[in-house]
Amino acid sequence: MSAFLSYLIHGISLGCGFALIASGIIIIYRVTRVVNLAQGMFAVVAGFSAASLLDAGLPHVLAESLAIGTSLAVGVFTGYVAVGRRGTSSQASLIVTLGIGIFGYAVELLTWGDQPRSFAGLAGSFELLGVDVPKQDLLVTPLTLLVFVALELFFERTYPGKAMTACASNPYAAALQGIGVRRMSFCGFGLGGALGGVAGVLLTPLHPVSYDSDVSLFVNGFAAAILAGLKRPVLALAGGLLLGVAESMVAGYSKASYQSSLALLLTLAILIVQATRRETLHALEES
Amino acid sequence: MSFDSRSATIAAFAGAAFAAAALLDESALSAYVLLTLTASVTVGVSLLMGHAGQVSLGHGAFYACGAYAAGLLATHGSPTWLGLLAAPLASAAVATIVGVPLLLLRGHHLAFATLAFQLIFSSLISELSITGGDVGLQGIPRLSVAGIALTSVRSYAYLSCTTLLLIVVIAQNILSSRPGRALRALSSSEVAAASSGVAVGHYKLAMFALSAGFAGLAGGVYAYYMGYLSPGSFPVMLSIEYIVMAAVGGLGKVSGAVAGSAVVFLLVHGLSRIATLSGMPSTAPIILSYAVYAVLLVSAVLFLPSGLLGLATTIAARVRGRAASTVRKAQETAAPAGDGRDGTATAERVASKHGSVS
Amino acid sequence: MIRVEDLSVRYGAATALDGVSLSVAPGEKVALIGANGAGKSTLLNALSGMVPTAAGTIRLDGRLAHVPEGRQLFADLTVDDNLRLGAFRVRERNPAWIYEFLPELGRLRGQKAGSLSGGQQQMVAIGRGLMAQPDILAIDEMSLGLAPIIVQQLAERLSELNAQRGLTLLLVEQSARVALSLCDRAYVLETGRIVTQGSAAQLTDSPFVVAAYLGSPVQGAL
Repeated sequence: MSAFLSYLIHGISLGCGFALIASGIIIIYRVTRVVNLAQGMFAVVAGFSAASLLDAGLPHVLAESLAIGTSLAVGVFTGYVAVGRRGTSSQASLIVTLGIGIFGYAVELLTWGDQPRSFAGLAGSFELLGVDVPKQDLLVTPLTLLVFVALELFFERTYPGKAMTACASNPYAAALQGIGVRRMSFCGFGLGGALGGVAGVLLTPLHPVSYDSDVSLFVNGFAAAILAGLKRPVLALAGGLLLGVAESMVAGYSKASYQSSLALLLTLAILIVQATRRETLHALEES
Repeated sequence: MSFDSRSATIAAFAGAAFAAAALLDESALSAYVLLTLTASVTVGVSLLMGHAGQVSLGHGAFYACGAYAAGLLATHGSPTWLGLLAAPLASAAVATIVGVPLLLLRGHHLAFATLAFQLIFSSLISELSITGGDVGLQGIPRLSVAGIALTSVRSYAYLSCTTLLLIVVIAQNILSSRPGRALRALSSSEVAAASSGVAVGHYKLAMFALSAGFAGLAGGVYAYYMGYLSPGSFPVMLSIEYIVMAAVGGLGKVSGAVAGSAVVFLLVHGLSRIATLSGMPSTAPIILSYAVYAVLLVSAVLFLPSGLLGLATTIAARVRGRAASTVRKAQETAAPAGDGRDGTATAERVASKHGSVS
Repeated sequence: MIRVEDLSVRYGAATALDGVSLSVAPGEKVALIGANGAGKSTLLNALSGMVPTAAGTIRLDGRLAHVPEGRQLFADLTVDDNLRLGAFRVRERNPAWIYEFLPELGRLRGQKAGSLSGGQQQMVAIGRGLMAQPDILAIDEMSLGLAPIIVQQLAERLSELNAQRGLTLLLVEQSARVALSLCDRAYVLETGRIVTQGSAAQLTDSPFVVAAYLGSPVQGAL
């Protein structure tokens, strides 16, 4: 029982991280129609930065905030290169984000080397129902919920948030109203960068991060985003939690190496089912 | 390009490639083998991306599949030539099976799916005992064809060169055949191609399987050349290298794939040499190669969408054009201005720079 | 209010507009009639700055709101949000006066724009354009896909706006009937060129216009 609980709690924290990555992917996709393959890299950069800043003696909240600021900046840069130039096709932008992710590898290796890094989050653990729960786990979930509430409020209740949604929904009409689609795209990427940063900063104390962690982060984040239909960030929370808990259970009860394949197969299955439904709809419409 | 000039170009290229295999010294030959094998896979990736519009982030898996197929057969007593034959067939078969559901997806979903496929495939070969798990396959016997065993690096250089040429000729012939022309129609507009009777789905699958077959054949040669295989030989980065080479050379053109492979490969290897000079940190070669791939990829995609080949064609055209420009100017003033009606139907819809992906 | 001189717009090799000149005085109701592909939308896109011009000049005295072809609403946002977003460029974001002017929209304010009927959507689109407090309202294919009676209602509202607030109107239409009944003057655009112009009365009587445009294609939902 206590094993189950500890896997569950661990899975929830993991899932929160995935959900944050997913929300970044979703926001960038909604505003620019580009899937950001560098999203995992944002988290890794933030994780590394926080570790370095803490090592340099900066206090906790400040170090993490600066780290998130760094990933925000990296996000805006990515956006500028990927969609800043007029006439860049979606396929081209996708490949550009891939390129930037790889460039990230070079920068990360140069700055932080090839060894995994972590930092101490909230020290100590808490006893819950007979299980030792690391305090960091208890930090991750409420903070994630806070972020998601803030996102929901931003998009549903604020004027800039609605303008961003408008850009996503109909860029031409948005431009006609004077909404700067280009500026919104950069904001979207910046927000994606920040969200990736939050994920990195929250997850690194739990899992040491290394330069190639971005692949599994992206894969899981994208899986959660797909489960959310690439639409509303809030749905990604559910998807992320589902994936996180499922993977934690698989890792705990069977082989750890199968856990990422699970996320992948699940996502592929959903994508293919969605596509088949679309094909049948088309076929029905045409007949 | 007319048929004759194309075959002349291929013949010239073949001559040069064989000459290189014959004349290069041993130290350069191992790079030569890897370059030609990489180029072989890149041809398939380039055609996929250029004509079928499919970004495959997982072609390394087909390379691995061919390698492991050949390796498995050879280490279990099969004659080695059978392993080499099985390699492309195995990859093509896997591609066909996987492609049926996968090719229902488009754009970034498909890109993700191919990445997922490679990750799952890697995971599988790392876990299964039959493939030797993390350690991999050891002791793959040397390839022997009609009693002649290939033992020297130079012999493998000839083999890999032949492999590349075979793939180039097949690819070129397919492109200029009727199905090939249908494929090129596909690249400009799927909707238009479908409405003119092209079985879009079949062609996409065929293209996917064919490019996998190319990769598989190259993988088979790789298995015999190396003599051992491990999952670590086929990282995700490998698939990305193919994409970079294809993009740099010019998507959709066989010559572009070869040119791009050569340029990127030589550039990265040259820089790695510099990076391994004493005084540089041990991670310098990797850092440089990542940086170079990234910069090349982004630059090619943003600034040279038709790749180096497109650039070369533009320069050649401009040089030729200067001579003929006076003649053309005279002709233009005589003819009436273009009929606005053709362009305006689509022109009226202002293209948002974020066109839909699917 | 609008003075266009010798305007040319090209998309790559194709010429969408070729040396177009027109003018609209303040308070006028002018129509631009043309078949599909004639370049009408391109002209509006040029006026609202959405496409670059190759040659010629555009002079706008005042703010122009472009209501695009096919409504182009933000489908997932509510009517209220759509209206508010129309005011992106101005300070006043409260759509209250739009609800007064178009009371049907008041009832629909909380509904998602994508769920409305064609006529309702057109009203929202016009309302969104008006939120920008324009001096000129340019509407592209208002009547497309709408039942004649709806079109008539919309036309009446637009006339009111023109009469009460002096809003200059530029209506782009395939259907000459609607355009000529509402407007005082009209231009006819064919393959990127102005082929004729005149008062509504003149054009209604012109055999050329009658033949080409007044026997015009099916209106209303296909």
